[in-house]
Amino acid sequence: MSDDVLKEEDIIIRNYRTSDYQATLEILQKLNKLYDIGFDEKQWRESSGLRQFKPNLKRITLIAELKSNGEVVSMGVIEAQKNTIGQYVGLLGNWATKDEFIGKGVGRLLADRAIQILQSWGCDSIRIDLPYKTDKKLLDVFAKTGFHPILIVLEKRF
Amino acid sequence: MVVLSDIFNGSVDKNPNEELCVVYVLYFDEKKGQIPLLMYPDDRFRNNKRYMRPVNYHPVWFLESAELDHIDLEYKGYAFFGKKFATKSDRPKRRAGLEVETPETIVLIVSLPIELEIFGDGLIRKLTEELRSKFEDQFSKVIESEIANENVIKTPKVQERITIGKKIKVFMRELIDNTIKNYFANAIQKKTESPSFKTQKAISYFALRGFDSLVLNNLRGEDAFSNIQIFDPTKQAIEAISTTLPISINNINFISNSQEIEITVQNNTDKELKNIYITTTHVKEFFEKELMSLEVEFWFPQEELLFVSPIVPHIDEYLFTVNQRVDDGDYLKILTQRIDLKLINKI
Repeated sequence: MSDDVLKEEDIIIRNYRTSDYQATLEILQKLNKLYDIGFDEKQWRESSGLRQFKPNLKRITLIAELKSNGEVVSMGVIEAQKNTIGQYVGLLGNWATKDEFIGKGVGRLLADRAIQILQSWGCDSIRIDLPYKTDKKLLDVFAKTGFHPILIVLEKRF
Repeated sequence: MVVLSDIFNGSVDKNPNEELCVVYVLYFDEKKGQIPLLMYPDDRFRNNKRYMRPVNYHPVWFLESAELDHIDLEYKGYAFFGKKFATKSDRPKRRAGLEVETPETIVLIVSLPIELEIFGDGLIRKLTEELRSKFEDQFSKVIESEIANENVIKTPKVQERITIGKKIKVFMRELIDNTIKNYFANAIQKKTESPSFKTQKAISYFALRGFDSLVLNNLRGEDAFSNIQIFDPTKQAIEAISTTLPISINNINFISNSQEIEITVQNNTDKELKNIYITTTHVKEFFEKELMSLEVEFWFPQEELLFVSPIVPHIDEYLFTVNQRVDDGDYLKILTQRIDLKLINKI
């Protein structure tokens, strides 16, 4: 793999299939190791990434796959939900790219597609979940695309 | 299996066709409530409260006609498919506030043994189409005749009205008879691959009841109810029931901590499905109570989707239904699955 940025035509962005289970499991395990996102293997089942329909919730796991060999290189979960004050909010979560493809623009292609989808669902706004220890550089990258920090989420685990 | 006539004390003559299907055409009378106009194949039990119980208490009576294509009730081994529709009327009504033009409310109920419920959707749709296309303007005449029949004094005019209604009913009955015969005779398409479980069940039921042997009666020139030839490979299917379901359930889990059911469903076809409506209901006495209703705007070929439905505490049985809205605005049922929490995988 060269160090060049991957182009849109090199990548297929599609919905999760059950055959992606192993690849997504590995990506999420790595993400958990790095940022302790609270990932539990038992909770991520083969069907967990399928397009999900639930009252007041829509969820899709997007997969970026290399056109050349079908390798899953990046993933991200998008969902749209009415919040407690009645806003229909789109959320990008569990966004992760395989180490060797970081910096090649895959995440950006995936995020663009995710934003298109969330807009088509009629979301009032889009939020991105980022680890607390996120690099300032990454925040600056998001700021260029119109995303600004507004909330800090605190969590207590049981 | 209990045949409808079995619920009486054994003295009732059994009509052999009763084992296949019973059709009830009823109307809603502004003065007296639900009144049967005709019952096929046997009209004798129309005043028998026990026999008519599932018909009179069918949930279809409580629905607005435009709400659903049809609604089903399962009762003592039979599935009762009910459809409500309105037809033109020029009959003076017997209740204040109703005009002569106020449409008549007609209810069509088809009962089938539970083994044959796979045919219910298609059959009730076909019967409704046929009855509406041929008798749309004549239902009010039949109703008038029914009302006139109650008169103690039957003047020549009243008698004429009764006769007109009776004649129309004869034609209606004939139409129902032909529609049912044609439908069942052509419904099962013989295919070499394994048919779905429901189709297998239906074929077994036909074979068990000996409907295929009626072909022999035809050869002898006897009048048979149907010309079903299940095992005849030369038989051409007009309305084919595909043996591979367009949609299938791949997995069902009960998530105990969030009290939800997860249902994984796959589009088995090679085309994108549109305008799909998903519902989860549970039955309380005679009424279906809706827990979840979702729209799936598009469903890619071979794609699996995950539906997560809430449940009701202390209720174990649910009905998961997939409908598709067709061009005329009606809903076509493409999958129904009963879910028993006691029998599914708990997570």
